Amino acid sequence: MFVISPLVITLAMALAGAAVFYVLFRAHAMGTRLWALGGGAAAGAIGTQVFMQPLGYCSFETERLADPETATADVIFGIILIAVGVLLVGALVHWFISRVSSGQRVIPRPDFYPGTFTSRFAPLLAAVFLLPTIITLIVFHYYPLTQTFRVATRIVRLGAPRTVFTCMNNFIGIFNDGYWYTLFITVAIAVGVVVVGMSIALLIAQMANQPIRGANIYRALLIWPVAISPVVAGVLLQLLLNPVTGVVNHLIEGAVGVRVPWLGVMPWAAISIILTAAWNQSGFNILFYIAGLQNVDNELLEAAAIDGANPFQAFFRITLPLLSPFTFFLIVTNTIYAFFHTFGVIDVLTQGGPARDTATAMYMVYVVGVESKNLGRGAAQSIVLFVMVVGITILQFRSSRDRITYGV
Amino acid sequence: MFRKLLTSLFVLSSLMVLSVSVASAQETCSADAPCDIVVSQAFSDHRGDWIADVAARFNAEYPQFNVIIESPGAYRAIFDNYILAADSGGDTPEIAQFFEAGLEFATDSGYFKPADEIIAGREEVLGQEVAFDDIIPVISSYYSIDGVLTSVPWNTSISTSYANMDLLGSVGIEEVPSTWDELIATCETLQPLVDAGEIEGCAAWPFDNWFTEGWLAQMNQFLVDNENGRAGRATEVLLTTDEIVSIADFYREMYRNGYYVYTGTRRDWGGTRALFGQGQVAFHISSSASARNILEDANATGFEVGTGFLIHNDDYENNGNVLGGATMWITDGLDPEVEDGAMAFLLFLNNTENSASHHTASGYVPIRFSSVELLQNLEPGNELFWDIETSSRIDIEGSNWFETNPNYLTGSEQFAASNVNNAAAGAKFGTFRETRDIIEIGMEEIMLNDAEPLPILESTKAELDALLEEYNLLYVGE
Repeated sequence: MFVISPLVITLAMALAGAAVFYVLFRAHAMGTRLWALGGGAAAGAIGTQVFMQPLGYCSFETERLADPETATADVIFGIILIAVGVLLVGALVHWFISRVSSGQRVIPRPDFYPGTFTSRFAPLLAAVFLLPTIITLIVFHYYPLTQTFRVATRIVRLGAPRTVFTCMNNFIGIFNDGYWYTLFITVAIAVGVVVVGMSIALLIAQMANQPIRGANIYRALLIWPVAISPVVAGVLLQLLLNPVTGVVNHLIEGAVGVRVPWLGVMPWAAISIILTAAWNQSGFNILFYIAGLQNVDNELLEAAAIDGANPFQAFFRITLPLLSPFTFFLIVTNTIYAFFHTFGVIDVLTQGGPARDTATAMYMVYVVGVESKNLGRGAAQSIVLFVMVVGITILQFRSSRDRITYGV
Repeated sequence: MFRKLLTSLFVLSSLMVLSVSVASAQETCSADAPCDIVVSQAFSDHRGDWIADVAARFNAEYPQFNVIIESPGAYRAIFDNYILAADSGGDTPEIAQFFEAGLEFATDSGYFKPADEIIAGREEVLGQEVAFDDIIPVISSYYSIDGVLTSVPWNTSISTSYANMDLLGSVGIEEVPSTWDELIATCETLQPLVDAGEIEGCAAWPFDNWFTEGWLAQMNQFLVDNENGRAGRATEVLLTTDEIVSIADFYREMYRNGYYVYTGTRRDWGGTRALFGQGQVAFHISSSASARNILEDANATGFEVGTGFLIHNDDYENNGNVLGGATMWITDGLDPEVEDGAMAFLLFLNNTENSASHHTASGYVPIRFSSVELLQNLEPGNELFWDIETSSRIDIEGSNWFETNPNYLTGSEQFAASNVNNAAAGAKFGTFRETRDIIEIGMEEIMLNDAEPLPILESTKAELDALLEEYNLLYVGE
């Protein structure tokens, strides 16, 4: 039994879709507007089914909504999933109608230029050449992705004889268990790794870029940490930072007479992770910054010097803006590193501790999915993490689009 | 051309037929083609050398088998690796060492064949005597479900207090602290040494939930409902009782006053043992199984060690302590010959002499009555003591091992002093392994932040109960 029947939801979404599309295409010819009406209705109806059909409209079941603790969250999740489904299908239909109505081909004809291979079989040949990649993507990426969604809606334990469908409970559960703190510490550590790692790398790259004797050797040595896996970096730093037996505390105690509880107490545990990850990533960052610095035109710097700019002004006004494509690329890759690859560092250094204070979203996926063997909840968390990283990357692309200077 | 192709096809197919027939011939184990029996176990120190030596002795006696000892990591790693391999249809070892917390899961999983079922009433397997009634009942009953022995007991331990008697003596204390209050008083007395920088702190031990389980047993309190899951399936973790709160408060007090040295890693067995072994702390809690290691450390540093029962809460009469350690599980569905070989190896591993030798190598209690008797009535040429340096067995001198090594008796004495009830027997439930982690995390949060225990314990309990409920739903369908 459903509080609102699936048929009613589908019809309502079809109507809404038709209305929105009619408004979007109101300036077009009558024929197009009719297409828009039909297309909008179809997008609403089909889009609703994208997630609701596999879930069996469970978010709107009477029995589920009888539980006041989860009822609101259930309905909200249901509405979000319907909206996302409709938006996905809607975008596709919108693109299709736009192209058709403006007289363009749906699949654009490639630009021909002298030397282009043309044949009746060219599209077929292209498909054949693309096939290995597509098959690999489907088998190793898209299929596991759909499986992750499936597992996320069930209670699944590693090794258990059966699984049980649980609708959106795994997702609702996430936001009940202090997950907001997990998101906070994930972002905090990511910001730390990106900011600390990249600023130090830029400083070192700037120094290594000076024309000094043996510069190539320094550069090669500085890039080395990139060859070390996060786990090994963690083991090395754990030996150095161990609060009781580590070298770092031995030196600090000798110098100022205090010991820093590096790994067992906040915020030191988080700082240890940031420092280790920043160091581990420094080789990669330095490599790109040195490449970037070698691309900066010396004439510009000389001209600035003649005009009376001091080295700082020259750096901040000329070098830094010219490095922006590198900086942007590094921000994206460092963010992804901080979200996913710091796992190894955390597991070796703190195991997410003290308590769960340094357990980032990625680490929690491991804790819940592997340590607690709760694969369903782990899958749900990894989807949340996935959406987060996609969101942040889109945001980065949007916000930095206008500030990047590709060339002079 | 065609003929060539035909000939090569013929040669190829006859080769295949030949290799298949060779493969099927291998199924009978013989000295020429011995059957592999892989044992996945946790020890990689000298205790790992000890079992490798036993395997070599077995292989020499049974050339048709080749017992291979593997140590993929600690108990948890064996447990997780086995499930991952079994779940994905991969290769699983013939014998796996599962720790006590894995008992219910191991029986629910269907991965293993119960030991009693393999024995099937026989008195010996391939010449190895069964004699399960010679095993100390506390141990065999722990691993029996409805009277059926699920797995073969091997290493059994009990949490034990260790004290640096030289350090205690320097402040006028002659006895190993036996209660929480006594430990706190001892720490108070030792504080000047800490303040002077002579030692790191008063006490250090791994922040392991096993000790919490021991303290609950001592207070005659269950960890899970249905009498620790022994009167029926457990459905909730009893994490908000006064007894649990008292343990949290004990940790708070020890940490707040700087008496408890926390290395920052929860189950830091190695780090805390090093602190005690180097004379940096005066008090340590560990497994009886670490006795040999700890005494060797102390010997190297040059101090005397005293041992005692796990310290207990003064407000409760000591009901007894839970066992720890692991048993050996035989994978279900093995070839009958290999299955018997695996069982024969386990019986050999735990025979009277080997069980006695294992005790001297580690501190794990001798699991057979006959082994205790043997250690009390030694004769020259016994070859029971494990010499770490040469990785071989040498004679135990004297006629009574326990008389000359009283610290090794503490474990067995503690078992003997325990009441026989479901609190002291310890908990049995499917999510025990995960529960340990999650309780530790909650307790750590309480201790490090000096936080009020109940709110944190309540949310921890909710998490644990949900896990257990899901487990029961998937395995029992309740």
